[in-house]
Order: sequence, then C-alpha cells, then structure tokens
Amino acid sequence: MRQLLLFTILSTLLISCGNASSGSGESGTAMTISGAGATFPYPYYNIVFRDYMRLHGNATVNYGAIGSGGGIRSLRDRSVDFGASDAFLNQKEIGSMGAEVIHVATCMGGVVMAYTLNEVDSLRLTGPLIADIYLGKIKKWNDPRLVAENSTVKLPNLEITPVYRSDGSGTTFNFSEYLTVVSPEWKSIMGKGKALKWEAGIAAKGNPGVAGIVQQTEGAIGYIGSEYALTLKLPTAKLKNRAGFYVDATLASISAAANVKLPDDMRATITDSGDPAAYPISLFTWLLVYRDQHYDDRTLSDARELVNLLRYVISPEGQKVAAQINYAPLSEQALDKTRQLIGEINWNGEILAPYPPPGNHIAVAVSDSVHVTASPNNGQQ
Amino acid sequence: MNHSSSIVQRKRKDKTIRHLVGFFSLLAMIPLFFILWDVISKGYKNFNLRLFTEVTPSSMDALLAISNGDPIPGGILNGITGTILIVGLAILFSVPLGLFIGIYLADNQGKRFAGLVSYLTDLLQGMPSIVIGIIAYAWVVKPLGSYSALAGSVALTIMMLPMIVRSTEETLKMLPLSYKEAGLALGSSYTNVVFRILIPSGFGGIFTGILLAISRVMGETAPLMLTALGASVVHWKMTEPASAIPLLIWDFYNDPNLVDLIWSSSLLLLIVIFLLNWIAKIVARKWKV
Amino acid sequence: MNKDSLFRFLLFTAALLVLLFTAGIIYALVSRSTETFQEYGVWGFVGNAEWDPRSATEEYGAFSFILGTLYTSFFALLLCMPFSLAVALFNGEYYKGKKISSAVRSIVDLLAGIPSIVYGLWGFYTLRPLVIALGVNAQGFGIFLSSVVLAIMIIPYASSLSSEFLSMVPNNLKEGAYSLGATQIEVVQHISLPSAGSGIVASYILALGRALGETMAVTMLIGNTNRIPRGLSDTGNTMASVIANQFGEADGLKLSSLIAIGLLLFIITAIINLIAKLIMKKLSHV
Repeated sequence: MRQLLLFTILSTLLISCGNASSGSGESGTAMTISGAGATFPYPYYNIVFRDYMRLHGNATVNYGAIGSGGGIRSLRDRSVDFGASDAFLNQKEIGSMGAEVIHVATCMGGVVMAYTLNEVDSLRLTGPLIADIYLGKIKKWNDPRLVAENSTVKLPNLEITPVYRSDGSGTTFNFSEYLTVVSPEWKSIMGKGKALKWEAGIAAKGNPGVAGIVQQTEGAIGYIGSEYALTLKLPTAKLKNRAGFYVDATLASISAAANVKLPDDMRATITDSGDPAAYPISLFTWLLVYRDQHYDDRTLSDARELVNLLRYVISPEGQKVAAQINYAPLSEQALDKTRQLIGEINWNGEILAPYPPPGNHIAVAVSDSVHVTASPNNGQQ
Repeated sequence: MNHSSSIVQRKRKDKTIRHLVGFFSLLAMIPLFFILWDVISKGYKNFNLRLFTEVTPSSMDALLAISNGDPIPGGILNGITGTILIVGLAILFSVPLGLFIGIYLADNQGKRFAGLVSYLTDLLQGMPSIVIGIIAYAWVVKPLGSYSALAGSVALTIMMLPMIVRSTEETLKMLPLSYKEAGLALGSSYTNVVFRILIPSGFGGIFTGILLAISRVMGETAPLMLTALGASVVHWKMTEPASAIPLLIWDFYNDPNLVDLIWSSSLLLLIVIFLLNWIAKIVARKWKV
Repeated sequence: MNKDSLFRFLLFTAALLVLLFTAGIIYALVSRSTETFQEYGVWGFVGNAEWDPRSATEEYGAFSFILGTLYTSFFALLLCMPFSLAVALFNGEYYKGKKISSAVRSIVDLLAGIPSIVYGLWGFYTLRPLVIALGVNAQGFGIFLSSVVLAIMIIPYASSLSSEFLSMVPNNLKEGAYSLGATQIEVVQHISLPSAGSGIVASYILALGRALGETMAVTMLIGNTNRIPRGLSDTGNTMASVIANQFGEADGLKLSSLIAIGLLLFIITAIINLIAKLIMKKLSHV
C-alpha cells in the first residue's frame, strides 16, 4: 500500500514536470490560445477556430461558451487570451479591465421573433408592439393593434405567451436595447441589460429552452438568436424597420443594418438601423483582447499567434463560414475598421499587424517563425 | 378479548405491508428503465466506433451531414480523454486524502476535533457543484492564469472527498474492534494494523465508496465549465483547458446542429458509470467483511 | 514507533486539511459577498424577495431563492420517502440476502449513477410533456417537475444507507420478538426501525443534502423565474440554479449577490446538518 502511494506521488510529479515545460509554448512547438465568452457566436467560432487549427498544425484554440460576462471576467483575470461578447464593454467595465481593450468584430447576427400559431404562416410586428407584448399590455393575438398590422392573416383569439431568457445573455441585451430605442415606455420601465426583471411571460434557459417552449406552446412568441432559429427553420416574424419596410432576418438584411457610420472603436449597436433593407434587431459580436499584449508572461509569439487568429477570423475564408451557417459576414466598413483596430494591437510597442496603406492587398500571414525586423511590411507577402 | 380476529388483522396488515413494500420498490425502479430506454433509443443511431476515435465535429460538419441525411461525423474522443485526465487527477488527490481522513475519524470517534471534521465533511457534501466551481476558479484558475484540467480536478476532488471519507469511516467503524486489538496485541505497529488488517478487511466498503464517488463526479458539468473550460483537441496537459463528456453534452445541447449527439454521448457516459458500479458490486461481494 | 507517530501525524494533518478547506471556502465566499452585505445588510438581503437586475433599479435579495430551495428539496424528500423506505425494507428486511434483493439494490443504486445533465435532458424532453398533459401547469417547468426529478435522484442515497442499517439490526433482537409471536411488520415497526433509527435519519439527511445542492437538473427544469413560487405548479428558482443561470453574465453587485447566495446555501446546509446531528444524538440515547 505504501509503495503504491509512493509510486503515485512520483508519477504525478513526473507528469507535472512534463507538463510544465509545454505550458505556453515559448519555443513555438505547441501553441495554445484560450478564449471564453458569448454563447451566441459559439457555433461560428467552433468552426472557424477548427479551420484555423487545420491550417496551423501546431496551434490549439480552445473556446468555452460560458457567457459574455464570464468571458469579460476571464479576460480581466488574464486567465484567457481573449474574451467574447455580444455586448460591448460599457465605461465602467472598461475601467475595471485595467488596460485598454480592443473590440474585434467577428461577425453579425440578429435576434428573431419566433412564434407558433397554427394557420398563421406570416406575421408582421413592429418594435413598439413587441415592447407592449413583453410589457403585458397586449395580451391577445387578436388585439386590434396586432390585427391592424396584419391585415392579410386571421389572428386567433388566443392569449400571447411571451418567452424570455432566464439566463443572462447578450441576446437579451441586444433585444432590450432595440426596445429601448423604439419604445420610450420600455426604456423607462425595463431598460436594457443582459438580464431584466420581466413583467409578462415565461422564462427559459438558453436558446434551446426558448425554442423548445415556443415550439410546443400554441400562441407563444420568443426572441432567439437568428442563427439558431434559421437553422431549425422556426417560423419568424417580419419586423418593420425604421425606413418602414417589413424585413425578415437574412444575411443581406442583417449586413445592411451595418450600413451606418460606425465608430472607430467599433463599440456600436446597430439596432433600428436606418438602412431601408436593414433588419431592425441586428448586432455585432466581438472578440476582446488587450491592446498591449505585453502583460504577465506573454511572449511575442503568444501575441503574434493571437493576432494571426484574429486576422484569420476576419479574412475572406473566415467570413465565408459565417454566411454558410446563418450568421452574417461583416460589412466592408466594419471589416475595414476592424482591420485598423487589429493594427493597434502591439507587444511592448511593436505593432503586430500594421494596417497597410490603401491599395495594398491584405493577406493573412501564415508564417509563425518570422523574426521581427525594422521593415515596414513586417514579412507580409 | 377476541384473539383470533386480532391475529387475522395483524396477519392481514403484515401481508398488505409486504405487498406495498414490493409495489413501491418496483415503482422506484421504473424511472431507471424509462431513462435508459430514452437514452438508448435516441442514442444508438450515433453510437458507433467513431464516438471513441474522433474528436467533436464542428457545427459545419454536422450541418452538412444533416442536410445530406448522413449521420453526424466525429465523436467525443476529446471529451473521453479529458474526462480521464481530470477525473484521474481527482482520484489521485482525493483517494489518499479521503482514506486518511476516514481512518482518522474512525479512530477518534467521540473526540471534539473529529466530530468537527466529520461535521464539516458533511457540509462539503451538500455544497452545490457550481459554488465549488467558483471556489476552484478563485483558487486555481486565477493564480495559474489559465483554465486547466488541474482546476477541474481540484473542483472534483472537493466533491469526491466527503463520499470517500464517509464510506471509509463507516466501513472501518463496522469492523469488529477485535481486529485492531488483536493486531496491536500481537505487537504490530499501528500503521501496519491499519494497512495490513483494517483496510484489507474493509476493502469492499471502501472501494465501493471510491467507485461511487467517481461515478458521481464523472457526470458533473457546472464546476467544469468554470474550471476546465473545454478543448477541441486530445491532450494530456494538466495546465491547459480540457474537455469532458458532460461539458460536451452541454455544448451539443446549445448548438442546433449538434443537438442529436447529446443522446449518444449520454449513452456512453451511462455505460461507463454503470460499468463502474458493476465492478464496485463485484469487488464488494468478493471482499465482504 | 517512529513510523506510527509519523502516520498518526499524517492522519491528523489530513483531517486538519478538511478544516482548512472549509475555512478557505468560507473566506472565499465571504470576501466576495461583502459588497452585497454592505449594501443591504445581512437580514435586508436575506429577507428581500426582490431580484431586479435592471441597471436603473438594481436590487437583489435572496428570499425567493431560499424559499425555492426549501420547497423543492423538502418536497423531493417527501416524495422519495415512500419509495426509498420501501426499497430499504425490501433489501434490509424482507428479502435480505436473497438474490432478488441484490438485483433491486443494483438497479436502484444505478439511479445515483446517472449524471445530473442526463436527468435534466430526460426531464426536459420526456417528463415535461407528461407534466403538461397532467395539467399541472401550462409550460411544464416548475417546482413540481424539478421536485419529481430531484426525488428520483435522491432515492438511492436514502435507500442504500437505510437498508444497510436495517440489515445490521442484530438477529437475536428480532428472533426474540418473533418467538413472542410478532408478525414481520410488527418486528419492523417495533424493533428494526427504532434500532436502525439514527442511521436511517442520517441517510435522509444525506439525501436532503444532495437535493439542496443539485444544480444542473434543477436549473434546466425549474422555470427560472426570480420570485417566490406561489405553489407547486408555479415556477421559481433555487439558490443553486440562480447562481448557475446568472453567473455567466454577472458582474459587480450582481456577482457579489450571487456569491452571497452561495454563502447562504452553505449556511443553510450547515444548519440542517446540525439539526440532523442533534436528532441522531437524541435518538441514540433512547
């Protein structure tokens, strides 16, 4: 028995010694990048990181979908290389991070209103109507205001069951943010946030929870991430955008929502966008990284690898994936601003992916052992 | 006093209760069969060799497969190896520690310190797994600067400890005092008495407790979300994020393209846990006190 | 004898580690929840049933969740009692030692091996439509559904220990009663149960502890509404499930409040365990 104990202790020590040397690969043989955060873009990141690993045989990318808040906390604690969030950091959060954080937009999505109503195969809604449904002021499907909006279908005399997210989520944030923009009453009573105090309706956990209840309950309506709803082909409502058109959430309409003047730091919500083709509840989702990568024991290789990953995600290959699984790729303007932001990431003052002057072709650097020289092109082809 | 009717009544009551006991015992077993039926019938489609040999598919692979009517490719190898790594480490930490604490408690019954430790062990038992995850995050992830299999195993160790302590303590307490006294009377050292007589005699109960503790933590999701984070590759590094089967089940549940995989993964998990339980029973029978 | 003193020292250290662990856990929880208790005061937080995460009207209180936890756990305990007692009697008394007892014991113990996420999935996909069909409530989720699943989860914890203790009742005591003409149920009632009483209570406490701390299955089934449940058919939240739900997104005062709830759960578990110890002490002196 004693010998067994001794043996296990020794083998543990041996294993841990073997592990310690390959912690955060300084010599570049095995590189691990970890990130945590939002669940909304998880399927997209899942694929795009996998593709990146396939192209870079020695890199491992791990992503844990523990929620935007968890991602922000983990980044603040420096226990991950990047965080992911569907809600950009507010002033207080920025202050708490300890150093400047860059918002790297990766793709776009939307929040759709899924519903279940027999014999109603198309539904039109407006922002104020949705607000009033969730405030409990519109209780039945054949409420005159809903009927007025939907003259071509017959709405039944049935109670509306609104469904909302019980877990804090970026989807709730964007949904409520949209409602604060279009409904002053919502703004004063409910406000916007990742979790709210709901007046009417049923709570459900996660997209599967909301979709599950909506699908099984006649008369239910719920807000779901567009990717989820579109993949499952749930019936969704057309929303009236600011320009007055009734739009479905499609790749085109979500991308169109970004046709507004975006701020340079890309901290923007694009709900209720003015573009005529825009889907009103569209959103960006971001990866968050520190601008100065020289913290803790991060090496130049670590920083370079991270930047390579970011650039892959916004490269044409990375963006193509988004379109294939019902997310929307970034618009040209968003891409451009994001490239500029990535161009600010530096390690101890050294810019890792300088934003090239207009006219240069932007390529994703695949090399992983380029030594830093003073050349302005930094080894790019 | 009419004795005969009283006896008849008493006998009837006896018979009724006996039937009730049988009936309710049967009812108690039914949920297991329902759950098994559910998991097997929904999981067998995707349950194949690939489950053990390939890593998790990406959403895209699944999407393409579904639209083509093919079974979803890939497997949960990264979850299997991750579980082995994390639970393996947890076993390394918790078994010696739990054994020692159990021995101490069995030997010091009635003393105040032991009573306190016993009480605190029960407390640890009742802690919700998510709180243990929060603690392990603060103790391991933050200082280490990274999510890791090690952090996950620390969380699982805290969860396994009370069970191992309790079963060791109770088993040793049930051993006749004469075992220990005879050993000591023959001049053996206390250490030898414990390791050569008591533990082997109580091996059945102790080992059962360990196996039950393992099967308990193999299915834990919440603490691992906050400590191990998850990984899409197979690796054996303690200080890096790792996956685990229950974590993968949770990931699949939240991904509309991968949701069908939750059943085959659950089936695998169930099979492993049931195997462990079966082994525990055989060992306990063989080494019966 | 040096080996012995070293060994005893190691044993003592191991036991001490439990103390240190627990102290460390309490410290970690307390230090992260001071913000909340400073804001609301201890009783202010405990007695407040309001949970409002909106930034304008932020206010947090633990009362709804304390009630939710107590409702689900005690109702689950109540539900499991007839079944676990029956199984305990089956294995420890009526069919003790027989092959069928071994089979029943194995099957019921397997219930303890099912991971909580599988219980959650099964409850979500299979039980929930049943609950809706039974007419308990419209959406299935709620105290009732989670208590039922919890009860199933804790049956083996209660039954396996109870049956152990029942089977340990000395045969001569029972035989004495039989020779006086007692029926089996009378022996059970007057000899076996009292004799194994404290152990049986211990096993139910173990089961209750399991129920109090269960996170995953309950989170998926309880409906997650942050208010006092108005009855069995209503939805609610337990302390463990509100933490699981909101921890991912929480920060600042909300995070501190969630950790404060974790601390409260710890304290409630401690109190219940203390009561159990007192009960057992009293019973064993009888």
